[in-house]
Amino acid sequence: MAADVHNKGGATWDTAKGGLAAVERMRSDRSDSPTPGLVEGTEPGAGQEHTMFVHAQSFEDLTADSESNPDAELTGNRRSAVGDSEEVQEGQGVELQGGSTGNEAGEQKQWAGQQRGLRPAREEDVTGEAWRAHRKHVFVLSEAGKPIYTRYGTEEALSTIMGVMMALVSFVEAEKNIIRSIHADGYRVVFLHKSPLVLVGVSRSSQSERELSRELQYVYYQIVSLLTLTQLDHVFRHKQNYDLRRLLAGSEHLTDNLLRMLEYDPGLLLNAVTSLPLASVARDALSAGLQVARAKSLVFSILLAGSRLVTLVRKKDQYLHHMDLHLLFNLVGSSSSFREGEGWTPICLPKFNTAGFFHAHISYLEPASNLCLILVSTDREDFFNLSDCRRRFLERLRRRSAYKALQEALHSPTYPVSQVGIPELWHFVYKSKSSGLYTSPELPVPYQGEEEHERLIRLYRYLHSCLHHPTRPLRSMYRSGNTENLFAWATSGFELYLCFSPLGTKALAMSAVTKLLKWIRKEEDRLFILNPLTY
Amino acid sequence: MISPRMASGMQEKQYTPSLLSFFIYNPKFGPREGEEEKKILFYHPSEVEKNEKIRNVGLCEAIVQFTRTFCPRKPAKSLHTQKNRQFFLEPEENFWMVMVVRNPMIEKPNKDGKPPTVEYQEEELLDSVYGAVLQQCYSMYKIFNSTFNRAVETGGVELLIQKLEKFFYRYLQTIHLQSCDLLDVFGGISFLPLDKMTYLKIQSFVNKVEENLSLVKYTAFLYNDQLIWSGLEQDDMRILYKYLTTSLFPRHSEPELAGRDSPLRPEVMGNLLHYGRFLTGPATLKDPDAKFRFPKIFVNTEDRSEELHLIVYKAMSAAVCFMINASVELTREFCEQMDALVGPQLTLLASDICEQYNINRRISGPEKEPQFKFIYFNHMNLAEKSTIHMRKTAGASLSSVHPDLMKILGDINCDFARVDEDEEIIVKAMTDYWVVGKKSDQRELYVILNQKNANLIEVNDEVKRLCSTQFNNIFFLD
Repeated sequence: MAADVHNKGGATWDTAKGGLAAVERMRSDRSDSPTPGLVEGTEPGAGQEHTMFVHAQSFEDLTADSESNPDAELTGNRRSAVGDSEEVQEGQGVELQGGSTGNEAGEQKQWAGQQRGLRPAREEDVTGEAWRAHRKHVFVLSEAGKPIYTRYGTEEALSTIMGVMMALVSFVEAEKNIIRSIHADGYRVVFLHKSPLVLVGVSRSSQSERELSRELQYVYYQIVSLLTLTQLDHVFRHKQNYDLRRLLAGSEHLTDNLLRMLEYDPGLLLNAVTSLPLASVARDALSAGLQVARAKSLVFSILLAGSRLVTLVRKKDQYLHHMDLHLLFNLVGSSSSFREGEGWTPICLPKFNTAGFFHAHISYLEPASNLCLILVSTDREDFFNLSDCRRRFLERLRRRSAYKALQEALHSPTYPVSQVGIPELWHFVYKSKSSGLYTSPELPVPYQGEEEHERLIRLYRYLHSCLHHPTRPLRSMYRSGNTENLFAWATSGFELYLCFSPLGTKALAMSAVTKLLKWIRKEEDRLFILNPLTY
Repeated sequence: MISPRMASGMQEKQYTPSLLSFFIYNPKFGPREGEEEKKILFYHPSEVEKNEKIRNVGLCEAIVQFTRTFCPRKPAKSLHTQKNRQFFLEPEENFWMVMVVRNPMIEKPNKDGKPPTVEYQEEELLDSVYGAVLQQCYSMYKIFNSTFNRAVETGGVELLIQKLEKFFYRYLQTIHLQSCDLLDVFGGISFLPLDKMTYLKIQSFVNKVEENLSLVKYTAFLYNDQLIWSGLEQDDMRILYKYLTTSLFPRHSEPELAGRDSPLRPEVMGNLLHYGRFLTGPATLKDPDAKFRFPKIFVNTEDRSEELHLIVYKAMSAAVCFMINASVELTREFCEQMDALVGPQLTLLASDICEQYNINRRISGPEKEPQFKFIYFNHMNLAEKSTIHMRKTAGASLSSVHPDLMKILGDINCDFARVDEDEEIIVKAMTDYWVVGKKSDQRELYVILNQKNANLIEVNDEVKRLCSTQFNNIFFLD
């Protein structure tokens, strides 16, 4: 059957799948335009050497209940087991590892947002029409049915309904079955039981059950990233009806922000991140700078511009999962406190290891810019070492011309779709599968409002979910309607989502795809991170 | 198409979806604790232990109540679990029908005598399809029994329970869950296109019969399982059509095919030979003990609710339904009169239509495997046409394409159902088949193309050609 497909080479945009010998990923071999025989690792945007991320084949990879990276053995430090005798100090936030609080200078042991106080009052009438009308509700509760988080309203007001949710979950489980979702006209309720938590999402959009469940996973990992799974289990093993809000107090805005990211950031949908467009010479210089400014305990050095990755340097053989990276983005993006000085916060990267904490040194390179440096270490006493790494990196950086290029790039973090030169093309998202990076132009006029922006993401999400259907996936999908025409295409090397003016024809869409892929190939130096480095 | 599980060699068993349970309850009938059993009006399988019945009904009530938190007027329609899906329908206030369908599953044998691993395929069932099947269950009950409320009004809950028992015991055995698909969602009617002349002949035949036999209130005319003329309301005809084509007709073989000594051999009336016979009521008029009892149906239940005798009379491939007010008692004389009047004329009409039918078939070209197959449905007149499905057999209609492709059609249909806009979707499946869905002005067209090397533009052209040859009078969004 597979051989059959290869032989019939007639289709103009058919991809050969699998079966080809490994391709040397040398620059000289990179073709100028995508060819039918494009394979993973040679698509526009594919990294030159090693990829930066744990390579997720598809989002099913995320939804599968996989254990964290088995070969990611690091130092013993990671396994910061929680002593059995240890009592959890309520309200103390994250101090979970034995003994000392070690309140060294500059350390911020509390949640990034705690200083800002609790989120604004969210009193809402939970029986009212306005509360019901929210597009997406998310609830988190303990297995005892105790409320932990609600996106809208207060947990107190919703404790009865959360009790019902838990009752439904346990009732179905008592029959050795698992509740997945409830469907009604215009909305659906999705359940996710990841012991010791239960997550429930209610969505009024046409979002598929799988996508919603995946978003609940994100929320689950968000909570794990604050406490570690070991700690979570420990707490509930000791006191089944423990009120977890006491441990999470002040962190709700992280979940709030994550849920907003899920609405408008295609990266979370695609399991990919986007990078700041930057000349490769400058980017390579920055990478080299981070590579030199290393410390023994350093695992990842990440340079961000807003929500865009500038570069990432990692310890050899240690990979960062894009989900962990998104959680880091969320941590930085949710809080302004890191602007006030060098931050030092423990964080669990659950896709790496759900049992232990890393320690992240987070700082903005300059007070007014959105250039943020995250240094992830395994050693919780390492604040001053990392602070020194930052100083060395900055000193070196300021002496180089790359710094100027970076400053300029920060002024234009996006590009208009008109650069591609296809008038009917309104917007697109292109993901290089092997590098885990995507590129997308700024939103055009019809989608600039919040409502329209989210609508476009919902359309992409719909296409994505059709292409990645677990039992009947598609190669491509074209959908024309009154407001826009859409085209989605997945190959072994890339995924592409395009949005056209509703007046565009199919012939135009096909030629646009070819032209766009050529353009991306031409611009890949700038749009992607082709030479990721390791320490 | 070799599926990976077949290739893996081990003896795996695949199970199709099956009906786990089916129950009807009314929470108002046993509101107090300890009285829960009174809520249950029907439960299949009946041998399930009482407490389990109560538990399962309780879960449904809880789910429905829970979803009212988020939308008081639109409660749950289905519940997905790992092992099964439950479908909820409230056809009359407080009367709930629940159908529980087990997900298809694969049983993988384990070595060393361990019990086999069961893998549930949770993405295989389409809610739209099984929701429609459940709705059909109610409609079918209603056309033969009228509403639940009416039974309670006339004979109390006991009568309703009896009626449900009697109807669903048999009906549930006729549901073939594994072969349900998009056609069940549409619940459409296949119409036979005819030239004006033949159509007028049929209309004048109907008029003449209704004039001579004034008891006849409504008439419907079908040929070869396709509808030509109906005097019933659309929704009643749609369910009657379903009953005729999937239940009544398949049970009666054609008399032309019957042997010489068969009791179905043609009747001789005077000098005229005719093939007319009753499909409902007496098997033959010659039997002196024949009973002239016909099935009763209920139509227009929404407003005035009429109870009617259903007489189905057939000659060769032509079948006519005559519906007569149920308060009238039908006699031998009436049936003989009808047989004498309708038999010869219908036999002639049937051969006229047959001629037409064959001409049409010749025009549409030789019967080779075409490059494409399609389903068409018009929401306004319920007209449906499928070249994907073979002739319907009792209960099940067989599709000639891979089930995954049928499910892709179902997915596209769900997308169409969400927005009230014209839309077109073209997808390429992993098997390289192309599937096209078009929705325009209440009409939906789905095409499956077996042109694996075609590109999007060629596929688009192919579908355009199909639209102009098959549906030359229908506008579709380009």
